[in-house]
Amino acid sequence: MSTNGTEKKWDRRSADTAERMAAAARFIGPGKQFKPEDTVALLEAVIRPGDRVNIEGNNQKQADFLAESLNKVDKSKIHDLHMVQSAVPLPVHLDLFESGIAKKLDFAFGGPQAGRVAEFIRDGKMELGAIHTYLELFSRYFLDLTPKVSLICAYKADKKGNLYTGFNTEDTPTIVEATKFSQGIVIAQVNEIVDELPRVDIPADWIDAVVQSPKPFFIEPLFTRDPALITDSQILLAMLCLKGIYGEYEVKRLNHGIGFLTSAIELMLPTYGAELGLKGKICTHMALNPHPTMIPAIEDGWVQQIHCFGGELGMEKFVAARPDVFFVGPDGSLRSNRAYSQAAGQYACDMFIGGTLQIDKYGNSSTATANRVAGFGGAPNMGSDAHGRRHSTDAWLKCGAEQPTLDRTLGNMPRGKKLVVQGVETFGEGRAPVFVEELDAWKLAKNANLPLPPVMIYADDLTHIVTEEGIAYLNRAPDIEARMAAIRAVAGYTEIGLKADPAETKRLREQRIVMTPEDLGVDRKRADRSMLAARSIQDLVTWSGGLYNPPARFRNW
Amino acid sequence: MPKWNDIQEQSFLESDARARAVGLVDEGTFTELAGPFDRFYSPHLETLGEAVEFDDGIVTGVGKIGKTPVFVISQEGRFIGGSVGEVGGAKMVNTIRLAVEFYDKLVAEHSDLTDEEKPVVVISFETGGVRLHESNAGLLAHAEVMDQLQKARHKVPVITLIGSKVGCFGGMGFVAAATDAIIMSEYGRLGLTGPEVIEQEMGKEEFDSSDRALVFRTTGGRHKYIMGDCNVLVHGKVADFREALGKLAGLPVSEFEKMRRIGSPELVEKQLKLVALAAEMQPKDARDVWAKAGNADAATLDSKPFDEFVASVKRLEV
Repeated sequence: MSTNGTEKKWDRRSADTAERMAAAARFIGPGKQFKPEDTVALLEAVIRPGDRVNIEGNNQKQADFLAESLNKVDKSKIHDLHMVQSAVPLPVHLDLFESGIAKKLDFAFGGPQAGRVAEFIRDGKMELGAIHTYLELFSRYFLDLTPKVSLICAYKADKKGNLYTGFNTEDTPTIVEATKFSQGIVIAQVNEIVDELPRVDIPADWIDAVVQSPKPFFIEPLFTRDPALITDSQILLAMLCLKGIYGEYEVKRLNHGIGFLTSAIELMLPTYGAELGLKGKICTHMALNPHPTMIPAIEDGWVQQIHCFGGELGMEKFVAARPDVFFVGPDGSLRSNRAYSQAAGQYACDMFIGGTLQIDKYGNSSTATANRVAGFGGAPNMGSDAHGRRHSTDAWLKCGAEQPTLDRTLGNMPRGKKLVVQGVETFGEGRAPVFVEELDAWKLAKNANLPLPPVMIYADDLTHIVTEEGIAYLNRAPDIEARMAAIRAVAGYTEIGLKADPAETKRLREQRIVMTPEDLGVDRKRADRSMLAARSIQDLVTWSGGLYNPPARFRNW
Repeated sequence: MPKWNDIQEQSFLESDARARAVGLVDEGTFTELAGPFDRFYSPHLETLGEAVEFDDGIVTGVGKIGKTPVFVISQEGRFIGGSVGEVGGAKMVNTIRLAVEFYDKLVAEHSDLTDEEKPVVVISFETGGVRLHESNAGLLAHAEVMDQLQKARHKVPVITLIGSKVGCFGGMGFVAAATDAIIMSEYGRLGLTGPEVIEQEMGKEEFDSSDRALVFRTTGGRHKYIMGDCNVLVHGKVADFREALGKLAGLPVSEFEKMRRIGSPELVEKQLKLVALAAEMQPKDARDVWAKAGNADAATLDSKPFDEFVASVKRLEV
């Protein structure tokens, strides 16, 4: 009914999409397929200047052919796009801004292009919306950053246009749901078109057009850590973590960040973990990519369930052969899902443990450097206390109960706290001190005109720091003064660490706010590579019974 | 320092130079010569303000395997990539020289010496070749080692072991090729120009040094075994190297002539045939050569389990 004589239209979005698809109709054949050589023309038909566009690509799989094709469109027809996407790891993602096809970026992770992102912002080639976490960005796809056109990738399509994203489903369902159900346009590149799919991950009626790309999509084995590169120092840190945190809190449900420390921990579950009698008491449920370094612990029966953000090259057969542990479809192959796994990491995990480049004297940490807008992907989701959490576990309750100041905010009300752990050597790569007076993130904020310094984990979420000096139990510190003293006590020979007052450190050790390896009963002399259940990629292959097929770059035989 | 028994079970790949030196000979027989307490270290590094090591990254000494006196040289990859400079080079040279002098004296005094009582030299390589900080002094050291190999010829067999992280590259690749026998594990790598240097000079298209499978099938133990550059391919423990070394150590010196790569008109002939074959085949990948050697499964040869590989592989004949 019209209230003022003019008919109100309620279907402008679908009408707009229909108009665009009509313009592209001449390229699209049966099964919604179009030819690779028509890709640029098709994109010119369906995209309009200023559109919000998503190019699928996380730090693992990439819709690289569609990204390259978008970079070839006529700039007079398509320009000033607003890119909303998880990550910008490929050079072509930034080339779009160089040429003016794109103008604004909202993202979560910069990867190898982080330096160019900072440069482009400074030079005015790029307008930065915000740096998000994955869940934060995905949430905004459903509110104020909904894509009009999404360019996605899948392994296979069938003759109707159904898609199989399989092992590397990752972000696809989230992107497609946000785009298609707001009457947007979804275009998919696939590696092959087959008669029958192993399973349908995305139904054909959510897809507008499909192309078989000339080359299979690019995929990065980002979560493979070669056990041969794990150092004795990382092994000491892993021993401290297992005894002083995993064992102390009996952490069953957790996420491991990417890094050599967590790989060392994974490889020491069947050795040091077993020696401590922790089997069945820790690490039974994990939100985790299929890390190859998890193979020995899985084979040894430590893990009951793992949900994966994405896949990992070479782990396909192993995962398919362990359906009791991983989430696999009726066809037998893994279905990863970044959004769900991130949600599990935030709400269902009792602990996040990872590394960082810098920690300031208060305990704020960041991987940002002065000239790189890197973003943090999912770490801030998992590395933060989930304030909406209402269910309890022993580890969560214990970590919360240890806080001496809970009564100042909650009165007599008990509440748990997620364990958020940063494990670092006091001097990191290139002998740069990890503990610093001020994070480089402040300089970056200035250099790239960001409204606030990009912080990966805020001090009030951080509960534990582990270094070769010992563990700072920050959750046990009564106030920020004690907290800063505990950080100084484990900061070794960095400028921050040299300010530690031995008498104060002694008091903190007595109060169990700081514990050295000796306090914990961890023998430093035992921290060597014989602690690792697998010491090479080949050992991992052996543990897997030949099911793990490492990518060429990790072979050392 | 781990106990001798523990060293035997250690991975050779991960063992440091001293553990290898101690573990390769019989328990309790190793005596280090010119060791860290003698503080023979590089004067050049000191001048440049670089850190030095009191053994200059090379462990030298003597020990025994059964009745065989063994002169040991063991390089440490964790000190400046196992590079060989003036002092480390001199330690190598003098260890071989000592072995030859010992042989001459022994033969002169005992006419009834058996083959297994005669000394051998073993070199456990882990090096990228010349220590660039020492330029000419390092190059000269290489030449002097080669000179000693000539002097040891027909008297003291020099046996090469390669299975450490850095592999054996640069000028030391030449030195290894000039020794009498080469024992490798599949983790060992032998070559002249290292993978990173090839990529830097010729580009990623020519050689992608981050593609480790490519690196290993071009320089690794399995490939070198097929090509005949490696005489014996062993599993990865120190004990495996020790066992193979023990088998060779007692052989008459004449037996080593059959294992050599260079040093006779026949071997020159053989090398030339290899060059001609390469020119004729124009191989694009090591796998082409494996197929040429008669391996029908060339495409998957590098991922075969080790024992199956050794049992079934066909080696290149020219």
